[in-house]
Amino acid sequence: MNPKRCAACKYLRRKCPKDCIFSPYFPPSDPHKFACIHRIYGAGNVSKMLQQLPVQTRAEAVESLSFEAKCRVDDPVYGCVGIISLLQTQIQKTQTLLAKTQADCCCSNQT
Amino acid sequence: MGGPGSSPCASCKLLRRRCAKECIFAPYFPPDDPHKFAIVHKVFGASNVSKMLQELPVHQRADAVNSLVFEANARVRDPVYGCVGAISYLQNQVTQLQMQLAVAQTEILCIQMQHEPTLQSHHEVFELDQDDKAHLLHSNNNSINNCNNNYNLAYAMSSGQLNSNFASPSSIIQMQMQDPLKQESLWT
Repeated sequence: MNPKRCAACKYLRRKCPKDCIFSPYFPPSDPHKFACIHRIYGAGNVSKMLQQLPVQTRAEAVESLSFEAKCRVDDPVYGCVGIISLLQTQIQKTQTLLAKTQADCCCSNQT
Repeated sequence: MGGPGSSPCASCKLLRRRCAKECIFAPYFPPDDPHKFAIVHKVFGASNVSKMLQELPVHQRADAVNSLVFEANARVRDPVYGCVGAISYLQNQVTQLQMQLAVAQTEILCIQMQHEPTLQSHHEVFELDQDDKAHLLHSNNNSINNCNNNYNLAYAMSSGQLNSNFASPSSIIQMQMQDPLKQESLWT
């Protein structure tokens, strides 16, 4: 058992075993990170997701889950999908402006 | 909607329970699309989704369900990065387009300056030849290549820790995020 419980086991009020799947990614110094993920996904779902991933990819997976959970807490209706929508709109506007600018460039070159 | 005589909704079918008249899932998970609830349940869990919906006004729940389905699909497709991978990809696209726009606007400015004969005697006239353009794009591409980590890019954007290479497009997005847009385009 880990002498110092990870943030997940502290939150779940349980012992933190040596092979705790959460402990490498949820240090006790950052309790909010696990709290946010647990609120959106649940400890059981996160544990299942991590178990299905190779060990070397789990840290990245936790960070992306943490990001999405935070987005969902900040925006309960759209979550990080809101960001995607904004980016798509930004891309459309920039493409339109670029096409117009390039067309103006061609016209200016011809005069 | 669930109730005596009517077909249970997709969620109650999957959860193997009676579909109550006031079932919170029934309006959004019709029985003819079992996959929709299955994927949301797999990623978020039925009880978490139920709690999230209960905390929202009724008129926002349909959009919330659609965004949860979108995120769940993204997570199943990419178990490591989920939606964050898409955000990073789109952010890169925005940056690339902004660079192309800057080059095009600079070209127009040069052409305009060339057409102003009175300015030529007072200002240094310069043209961007192909080498200059390539250098401009290459130096900006190096900045993007330095941020290959998908997560760090998206996380930096969300937490406001933006480096100067992406300050211009990302700050626009940050400003827009203060006035959220409707999201119909994603799933209509």
